Amino acid sequence: MEAKKDRKPILGSRLSDESFITLFMVGVLILVFSFASLFVRNFFTIQNVINLITNNWFVIIIGIGVTFLLITGHFDMSVGGVIALTGVLSVYFSQGVNVSSNPLANGLGLPYVVALILTLVCAMGIGGLNAFFVTRLRVPSIIVTLGTAMLARGAAQVITQGAQRNTSLPEGFGVLGSLGIPGTTIRLSLMIMIALILLSFFFEKRMIYARRVYLIGANPVAARLSGINVGKYVTSLYIISALLAGITGILLASEYNAGMANRAVGYEFDALVIALLGGVSIAGGFGSVLGMFVGALILSVVTSAATGLLLSPDWQFILKAVVTFIAIMVQRYALDRRKG
Amino acid sequence: MEPTENVLEIKDLVKDFPGVRAVDNVSFDIKRKTIHCLVGENGAGKSTLIKILTGAYTRTSGKILLNGEEFDPHSTRDSKQKGISTLFQELNVVDQLTVEENLTLGMEDTTLGFLRKTDKINKMVGVLNSIEPSINPKQLVSSLSVAKKQMVEIAKAVAAECDIIIMDEPTAAISESEIARLFTIIKGLRDNNVTVIYISHRLDEIFEIGDYVTVMRDGKHIDTKPVSQVHDRSELIKLMIGKTVFEQYTPRESDCSEPILLANHLTNNRLNDISFEVRAGEIVGFYGLVGAGKTELARAIYGADAYEGEIFFKGKKLKNDPEYAIAAGITLVPEERRSQGLFTILTIRSNVPVMNMGKISRNGFINEAMERNVALEYVDKLKIATNSIEKEAAKLSGGNQQKVVLSKCLFADADLLMLDEPTRGIDVGAKSEIYSIIRKLSSEGKTIIIFSSELPEVMNICDSIYLLYDGSLKSTLRNSCEIDSEKILHIVTGGE
Repeated sequence: MEAKKDRKPILGSRLSDESFITLFMVGVLILVFSFASLFVRNFFTIQNVINLITNNWFVIIIGIGVTFLLITGHFDMSVGGVIALTGVLSVYFSQGVNVSSNPLANGLGLPYVVALILTLVCAMGIGGLNAFFVTRLRVPSIIVTLGTAMLARGAAQVITQGAQRNTSLPEGFGVLGSLGIPGTTIRLSLMIMIALILLSFFFEKRMIYARRVYLIGANPVAARLSGINVGKYVTSLYIISALLAGITGILLASEYNAGMANRAVGYEFDALVIALLGGVSIAGGFGSVLGMFVGALILSVVTSAATGLLLSPDWQFILKAVVTFIAIMVQRYALDRRKG
Repeated sequence: MEPTENVLEIKDLVKDFPGVRAVDNVSFDIKRKTIHCLVGENGAGKSTLIKILTGAYTRTSGKILLNGEEFDPHSTRDSKQKGISTLFQELNVVDQLTVEENLTLGMEDTTLGFLRKTDKINKMVGVLNSIEPSINPKQLVSSLSVAKKQMVEIAKAVAAECDIIIMDEPTAAISESEIARLFTIIKGLRDNNVTVIYISHRLDEIFEIGDYVTVMRDGKHIDTKPVSQVHDRSELIKLMIGKTVFEQYTPRESDCSEPILLANHLTNNRLNDISFEVRAGEIVGFYGLVGAGKTELARAIYGADAYEGEIFFKGKKLKNDPEYAIAAGITLVPEERRSQGLFTILTIRSNVPVMNMGKISRNGFINEAMERNVALEYVDKLKIATNSIEKEAAKLSGGNQQKVVLSKCLFADADLLMLDEPTRGIDVGAKSEIYSIIRKLSSEGKTIIIFSSELPEVMNICDSIYLLYDGSLKSTLRNSCEIDSEKILHIVTGGE
């Protein structure tokens, strides 16, 4: 039997193209990192390397949900709005009742833990709303999630009257955001991010659930006829994505001791860009969380190196645009290879 | 120029596809101002011939004369300009535009990119009015019935002064009264110097409106004669099936065990009150022509489409959910293997176990060694020609792709296997391999239902044959040597 001679490495076992793209982007990462190390003063230091990751923990956490949804062929543009809303809600739920004449200082007075649980439930509610429109009413996901993004941010604006809530917080509100290894920039948020990346890396290769996510993206019609309940899977992914955004929102609010309506503006685009940079396909069925992580590092190196070099931070968006175009070209290349 | 007697002369036309000769040395003439019917079983070569005429395919060899001049279209636009217009089953109208906009679509008069109201529109509307006065030109096309959409297309062809209008199964999706109206219009077209090439599976229609009829079989031209010289529909049927010798298959004596599948009054928009039962271990074939409702019936049983009525499998009522059907022990090899059966961007190894992943995993985690072994097992068992189980399904030939889909279903370990057009578009060798797999499964005690539009196929492997026409179950036959293929074709073409 000829096929038995086949001894392809496990690395390329699911999708050889996918590993190829990931490796290719690792190469790009090494290239841009070496380039930056050569030309930017103090770039090649351990502290800076740690900063490259820690400064992006929030985009990477929401990137996990966005990546899995993209693999099924769906967008989630609501994550930025959910971060803002959940940050604000975690404050509002836990602020004291009638403690001040300033309406922004009065909340519901719930115990902090209850406030957090309620906040996460609200986040999952937004995810459920996304899923309802996408799977039941068959509205294109990009439109639905842009709509819920407005809804979430709008609600945050109403609750904060367009500003922020940062007074009469319960004791311990800031603990989650500042907890970490003393003397370093390593915080709880970073550890959660690393844990989530490791978990998804472990799960996406071997878990039946994750395999079905890829099957749905590869061919939703065949997936349904093969007995996969497509709606159920997409729904669960939208809820997970919103939950991850909710956790991010809570951590950010705790770190800043404030719930702000304009927090995380544009994060959904950053999450999309790093996923694309990491080789995740807009058409679905293709990509990995590991690739998304590499994409995040590339974006981080490019933007921080440019800031260190000569550009003022005003140039950040132009740079992101350039990186996005590169990501799209890599995408094209990946898709062409796939067809080839 | 003096118009020639024959508007179209086809000479020694050949079209080859890899491994198949779809049109084999076909020669016949089509007389001007006639309604010329084209008949033949599925796969007889009718559609290929039409696609050559409309420029969708280029011929391999041979000659076509249009009005006495050499005709070699390279695109549909090309053939339209030379006066051949086609009404496909999938109508070529834009639902979101008005009737008027549809009529002038692609030939609008514009000034600086803005539409100009010109005589062209008035002329078009005039033509439409003469064909079907009840259509308002300002109406959105989406609000029209299928029949009226056809009339819009006919008006478009007439206004473009086409000599020839080809109609591919125009009556498949319209009601009786609309058919009558359509026939009046077709006859009117003939009286206005248009030649109509009419394709239909409904033989009675040919006697109603046809002037000439051409029969094709297996890519060959069998006969062309005036309809007035055709005795009756059974003569046509004889021409259509010829003296095909079916591979002999003697159906086994059914052990008359309990019915395993029981359907009561299945009805949906394509099925009409279908009831039947299938016994355990039987091979049942549902035979009907295109549009008879085979795929719809398969999908209903599988739970992929909604229906009214009830289906019981092993005494349990089935739900409208393929996941449930698979769990109950039913699998389906769908009609379109690439778009419905396969994950083409994934490897053979990833495709085979998808319907039964629990079997290759523990606690929700896939065991890669087991997965590989399963794929190797099926590559071996079904003789899938590949050098590696890591090959993408997209890169396999049609027959091997179908074997991968079959592997998927077999690995699900179902008691009832349904196959919708299991051998469509695959070569003869792979075909007979698939038949022997089906027979082997049956001998292992599996129940099998085949949905097919190829009569030799169902006669070749089925114990019982159920005939479908227009969404209804017309007849149930026991397969045997004495089975009358003419009678079968009589029934599935709408005969009583």
